[in-house]
Amino acid sequence: MDKQSALVDLLRKHGAQIYDDIDNGNFPKFTIPSRSVSNIVYDKKIRQYILGANMAVRSSRNTSQLRSFTQLMWLAFFANRLTGQKKSSTLRDVYYSSQAFAVDFEDQSESDNIIVDLEAVLASPRESFHVFPEERSSVFGDLTIEYTVPGYEGKKTNLSDHPDGYAIGPSLTSSEFTETSAEVVIAIEKGGLFTRFVEEQVDKKFKAIIVDTGGQAPRSTRTLLKRLHDELSLPVVILTDGDVYGEHIAMVIKSGSANAAHLRGLTVPDAKWVGVWATDIEKYKLPTIPMTESDIKRCHDLLKDPRYQEGIWKKELEVFLKIKRKAELEAFSKYGLTNITDKYLPQKLELAKSL
Amino acid sequence: MSSKETFTQISPSEFFYRNRDLAGFSNPTRSLYTAVREFVENSLDACDQKGILADVHMSIKAVDAEKQDPKQYILTVRDNGPGIESNHVPLAFGTVLYGSKFGLKQARGMFGLGATMAILYGQITTNKPVVVKSSTDGKIQDEYEMLLDIQKNKPVILKHETKEVSKSGLSVSICLEGDYAKAGTKIRDYVYQTSLITPYATITFDDPKGEKYRYTKVIRTMPPSPTIIRPHPHGIDVETIRRMLLDTHYQIPAVDDNMISKVRKELGLANKNLSHSEIMVKTQKKWKTLTRPVRIIMALVSFLKMDFEKLSKTTIEEIDIANKKLTYWDFGESQSISIDMDPESFYYKQLANTVQGETITSFLTKRFQRVGPTTALKFAEYAKFKPEHRIGTMTNQELVKLTDGLQTFDDFMAPDPSCLAPLGESPLKKGMERFFEPDFLEVVQRGASAYSGFPFVIEMGIAYGGKISSRGMKVYRFANRIPLLYDEGSDVVLKVVNDTDWSRYKIKGDPPLVIVSHICSTRVPYKTVGKENVADRPEIERELKLALLSLSRKLSSFMSKRGQADAAIKRKNLYSKYIPLIAQFCTELAGKKNEPNYKQMITEEPIVEEKTD
Repeated sequence: MDKQSALVDLLRKHGAQIYDDIDNGNFPKFTIPSRSVSNIVYDKKIRQYILGANMAVRSSRNTSQLRSFTQLMWLAFFANRLTGQKKSSTLRDVYYSSQAFAVDFEDQSESDNIIVDLEAVLASPRESFHVFPEERSSVFGDLTIEYTVPGYEGKKTNLSDHPDGYAIGPSLTSSEFTETSAEVVIAIEKGGLFTRFVEEQVDKKFKAIIVDTGGQAPRSTRTLLKRLHDELSLPVVILTDGDVYGEHIAMVIKSGSANAAHLRGLTVPDAKWVGVWATDIEKYKLPTIPMTESDIKRCHDLLKDPRYQEGIWKKELEVFLKIKRKAELEAFSKYGLTNITDKYLPQKLELAKSL
Repeated sequence: MSSKETFTQISPSEFFYRNRDLAGFSNPTRSLYTAVREFVENSLDACDQKGILADVHMSIKAVDAEKQDPKQYILTVRDNGPGIESNHVPLAFGTVLYGSKFGLKQARGMFGLGATMAILYGQITTNKPVVVKSSTDGKIQDEYEMLLDIQKNKPVILKHETKEVSKSGLSVSICLEGDYAKAGTKIRDYVYQTSLITPYATITFDDPKGEKYRYTKVIRTMPPSPTIIRPHPHGIDVETIRRMLLDTHYQIPAVDDNMISKVRKELGLANKNLSHSEIMVKTQKKWKTLTRPVRIIMALVSFLKMDFEKLSKTTIEEIDIANKKLTYWDFGESQSISIDMDPESFYYKQLANTVQGETITSFLTKRFQRVGPTTALKFAEYAKFKPEHRIGTMTNQELVKLTDGLQTFDDFMAPDPSCLAPLGESPLKKGMERFFEPDFLEVVQRGASAYSGFPFVIEMGIAYGGKISSRGMKVYRFANRIPLLYDEGSDVVLKVVNDTDWSRYKIKGDPPLVIVSHICSTRVPYKTVGKENVADRPEIERELKLALLSLSRKLSSFMSKRGQADAAIKRKNLYSKYIPLIAQFCTELAGKKNEPNYKQMITEEPIVEEKTD
């Protein structure tokens, strides 16, 4: 891929610069966008959080930065090897790998932090340098893919061949999409409902690719959703629990998180949250549970977020605050196991078209 | 109404016997420690006074090593001092209140009383004699074995012999009940700390367990010895004034046979009997050669108009200067006779001067330090005395008024510190260097200051790191070259140290830090009778603070330099660890075969650490 070789070039360019600095007896340094809270701003145009103009200098002369500088150098070196050898790794794996090179990390959170630094330097998500998350979400539906990972090149598979769905891992996200009959992508927060949807043949009934986000969608899942939307022009709808956290899961898929403000290309700005809304709780007379203190606090916090200042995003938060109750997706089972797929889903898919 | 109470006078020995707690002989532990101190300090004082570099050897031996404490010990202290004249030995060690340390100058002990108290205590608890060996000439040594007759306050000499020796000095040995198990730590601390503040002396100690402690002299020069000076007006009380007045103005001598023969001799009339007027002629001729008492007698004779024969039958009863009357008892006529004195007479003035004493201004300038004629006049005005007021005529009320005035008058100059004997910066530094072998050492001697008319000087030293093994601050307190070991908590030095915000001087946690504080004064303001802690007089506290401040500033700059050096080493280590790794990684990243040359980067000393955000 072009993108991949650009990244390798970038790594080489940084490496050469540092090599020359050292050879000339200068302490190497570079600048990276500052990830401090004050430098995270919301960009209305691209509808996501981005990093501001502040840059931080990392100098190997400064002894308080020397260690992290070395760690970052090692990670770039390690990423270069991973991409060169087409191998993949995980956050935890990176942490342990460092020990083979006498580069010490206190704990995994320190190495995770350096990984985010490298993302910021390269302006690419870690998946691009083959570091993948542990958590796996799943996808099911009529989509034929062609693998590009070593040993599977050219091999094809259809994502509706296995009823448990396919795990969204590096080989799936890096595959080529060759063929699909789907017309919509349904992202759903919970594995249980994902299975129900497969059983009820939602994929066929609604010509849908079903994605289980497994709670907050991992980046590989968000990358997949974005590719399905961008490359296959499929609309993306999101179904979550009827609470503040569910609403925010939908928002992160739509416009990213502040944590990933240094990255672009992880968002699906056109994705639509179709439920469960606070207003649905009344409308469908769903069994509810009371909101906790932390739910209410979270609600107030989100109301200050620039992305929640309009439309259903603001309206639903306010209703949650008013009724102080929440409902899970499973609540529809009160009216029968298939109620959600038979009644609720069709209505919401219809509604999505007008959102 | 009748009472059977009888009042009897007790001897000083008896008094101390009954009040031995006051002098530090309350129990076997404290007593052993106090006895050690008294003898060692006596030896050091004696050597100091004669400018001898002291060698003091102390030993404590158990009489019966097997017995449990408290038990009998033999305490011996031997020095190379001037010794004591043979005929003074019995009085000096066999009576209470026989001492040589009167006068106003700094010394360790006050009156040499303590040693006698220790001897007394030893005798009370063991009934064994004190053994004193003394040689003043370094050839003959007198050895005395004595007991003290407590009721009579007199020595009882059991044995006295002499022998030939090769060195002068004094050795005192007593047997006393003590508790070395409990007192040992304090005694060892005392010896250790005394050596620290007396770096020009060698002090050794052989303890009952066979341990030998040796502290040899570090320097061979003695600090200048203090001079005895007159008191400062601020430090005076009514009783002191009364005593000063008494020995200032002369008593009227008694007109007895002895005196008359002295008068006759001075006038050259030993065997001649002249008439009154003939005697007076002779007197005028010889006036300048006459001694003071004779002049007074002759002044009286001029009014009495008697010859020697008549004079010998007379006693002077009263000289009333105010009413110019002279009253005498005439044995021949067995009656009192008053006569008028002519105030214009030359002899009247002589008499008046003698009886009334000098003027207040002359008294002040002659008898006190730092008082000149101008100050004396100013003072007289302040205290509402006529400058020519005669001190001999003072009533009790006037005496109190004078004392109050002296204590409160602000314009006296600060007390003269020449009576003080601070150790000096260099000896203190050398002493501390030897004892602590620190990485950092600074000492300071403050200028003289005064509280309530008593001059004092603060000396202080601060040592950090090196062989100081203690964790946390250790404060050694000294007053007049005596270590203060007890009651540390309530001492003003501790207060000042604890009030200091050490983090401001880059001192954190439990630093290996030693502070030595030495207060020299003619009167150290102790808080308690035990003389172990100094009271917090504002003047003293201020001086201590200033001393500590100047030292801690220097320590602070040492600490930051040391911090910088540490940081440079740390930096170099970090570079050596990480730069090769960076070189390795970037070589592969850049696709090069050989690593860049980073040697120079990890060997060269970086100058300033770069500041980045």
